[in-house]
Amino acid sequence: MRISDYIGQAGGNLWKKKLRTFLTTSGVVIGVGALVCMFAFGQGIQRNITNQFKKLDLFNYISVFAGGRSNRPGESSDPDDHGGHRRRRMRDVQDVNHPGPQLNAQALERIRTIKGVEAVFPEMRFPAQIRLGSKEMFTLIQVLPAEACRSGLIKLRSGACYASDEPNELIISDTLLHRLNGPDPEAAPGTKIEVATLTLDFSLANLLRMAFSAGAQALPFTRETYAFTVVGVAGQIGFMGPLPLQSDVLIPPGAAARMRKLSLTSVWDLFAPAGGGANYSSVSVRVDSPQDVEPVQSQIEAMGFGTFALMDQLRHMRVGFLIMDMFLIAVGMIGITVASLGIVNTMVMSILERYREIGIMKAVGATDGDVQRIFLFESGAIGLLGGLFGLGLGWVVGLIINEVINTLMVRQGAPRMNYFSFPWWLCLGAIAFSILVSLVAGIYPTRRAARVDPVVALRHD
Amino acid sequence: MDVDGFIETKDLGKVYTFGAVQVAALRSVTLSVARGRLIGVTGASGSGKSTLVNLLGGLDRPSSGSIRVDGRLVSDLSKKELALYRRNTIGMIFQSFNLVNAYTALENVAFPLLFAGVAKKDRLQRAEELLRTVGLEARKDHRPTELSGGEQQRVAIARALVNQPQILLADEPTGNLDSKTSRQIVEILSDLNRHRGLTVVMISHEQALLREFADEVIRLHDGDVVDREVLRQKP
Ligand SMILES: Nc1ncnc2c1ncn2[C@@H]1O[C@H](COP(=O)(O)OP(=O)(O)OP(=O)(O)O)[C@@H](O)[C@H]1O
Ligand SMILES: [Mg+2]
Repeated sequence: MRISDYIGQAGGNLWKKKLRTFLTTSGVVIGVGALVCMFAFGQGIQRNITNQFKKLDLFNYISVFAGGRSNRPGESSDPDDHGGHRRRRMRDVQDVNHPGPQLNAQALERIRTIKGVEAVFPEMRFPAQIRLGSKEMFTLIQVLPAEACRSGLIKLRSGACYASDEPNELIISDTLLHRLNGPDPEAAPGTKIEVATLTLDFSLANLLRMAFSAGAQALPFTRETYAFTVVGVAGQIGFMGPLPLQSDVLIPPGAAARMRKLSLTSVWDLFAPAGGGANYSSVSVRVDSPQDVEPVQSQIEAMGFGTFALMDQLRHMRVGFLIMDMFLIAVGMIGITVASLGIVNTMVMSILERYREIGIMKAVGATDGDVQRIFLFESGAIGLLGGLFGLGLGWVVGLIINEVINTLMVRQGAPRMNYFSFPWWLCLGAIAFSILVSLVAGIYPTRRAARVDPVVALRHD
Repeated sequence: MDVDGFIETKDLGKVYTFGAVQVAALRSVTLSVARGRLIGVTGASGSGKSTLVNLLGGLDRPSSGSIRVDGRLVSDLSKKELALYRRNTIGMIFQSFNLVNAYTALENVAFPLLFAGVAKKDRLQRAEELLRTVGLEARKDHRPTELSGGEQQRVAIARALVNQPQILLADEPTGNLDSKTSRQIVEILSDLNRHRGLTVVMISHEQALLREFADEVIRLHDGDVVDREVLRQKP
């Protein structure tokens, strides 16, 4: 038999029993619709969460700390080490007597050569004097790439992150702003702030100047001042994000690079000659793609450093997603199961009705396979129709629910978004799954059809 | 009897079992039919006529003995080969016509070609030709329920011919028809036998018709051939 004839037969037979076809297909439509809706919702939620992170590019980052401990799942051996874990490590790092390998320029170089590593940059903090009007204060400035800033790491009370890594712009904490007698956070963006740094300067000119002056100037320090503009005011800056923020002032790396400064992230820095073997408290590693995170992480850990990657967190999240998906699918499957029983019922009915016709088919030369396939195409067609319309139904219901959720959420100040996601594979998958389920439901009835004894079926009554 | 029969059965037996009861529908039938003959089969109800025809047509398998058609051992064919044998070698006609009521006359005649994998256009064309040969061209779009018994049987004959079989098996084709229509149907079968060289095996209770048209008549009783009467020899 030709494929086109199977299709024609199936179509013709379903058309002849329009009401029954409609009812059976409706069952499938509802089942598939529910499943699609559930799944699309799960997908939408996951997409929103994952996108949030992806947009920020944070999955490509690994934070490296001196010291072998890391936060990777299943590796924490110390049961008391939960809450203060990170903080404690940060202290360990700054411990001069710390026995592990040093996170210095050579280490950075070695990390840079690991396959998959795109960039390595130290997380730098340096001391500086900042002045607003007449008020001047000493603080630690932290260098934070613009994209990391935009990652949502920082709760901005006003303003925005700096647009790129280049401008002389800074973000200041509300507490420091207050202490500087600055304007209200809302009014702060645009405020000019002067940043002054001290550098160790062993240049000949400085040494000469030192030699001919006395008193306070008798140290090899140079003071440099830079003009910055406040672009944002941060609320709490703390240990919440993936990159520890411990400073009240954040500036982009480009601006930092143009500044002459003394890195003070480690006590070692004070004693190390500039550009030499300075130690960093932590280093950010950017990898080419999230897939590289795991291998790069292992290699860095093999070097004796501790690591932290948001990717690990995502892995935990994935498990959560999976459980959510399973739950949603389980609920959606109830409809499909009921629908497939409907298909079995319809097919059994159809075959009983056409018992004699099956006998005729066989008498005129149909093989068992021909007979089975004729009926399988019928149940497959119910699946196809159910899948197509079910997808449509799921989509429409999704739209409606999305509207309802959005109306409620927007009222509470949340941004509008799509809570449902219908990726192409979900659409194709839903149809394929619907057909598959229908075919499986058709197996038993169609095998019965194939086994009909023509002699019995044709015996006149 | 022909030594090299076109259809040959040897000790053909069929036992039906329901539960503990066993019914021997056929006991031991040994037959030989030459190509191109019109054979009448007669006998009391329950004597095994239909069983014999169903076995010859490959609709059923014997419990014992063998069937050979044109040298091929039909009783040894696989399920699938048997379906192909029914499709290509056999045309069957039944007392109750066995047309598909949902189809038109034309679609009924074309039905077997579906399984032969013939394209739809060719199917309908061939079916129309055959409806013309049985004189029902004008009724091609009618459904069986809109046709008289005789017309239905003519549609059934056209359907039996559509795959150009070598053997026509007719199980009481006139059983549901009046005598005038019965005669018309048997005339068509006889015509096909004489002019197309089809070997015909026809079950009938109507002795007069058998005497007039059959080349020989086989009488069954209780699952055995009890009489065989040759009425005509053919060249
Ligand atoms: N599928 C079956 N299962 C059980 N017994 C059967 C079956 N088919 C036929 N028989 C039995 O086999 C015997 C022969 O039946 P068969 O139909 O061949 O008779 P027949 O000569 O065609 O009779 P009729 O003239 O009434 O059609 C009968 O006793 C019948 O009851
Ligand atoms: Mg009978």
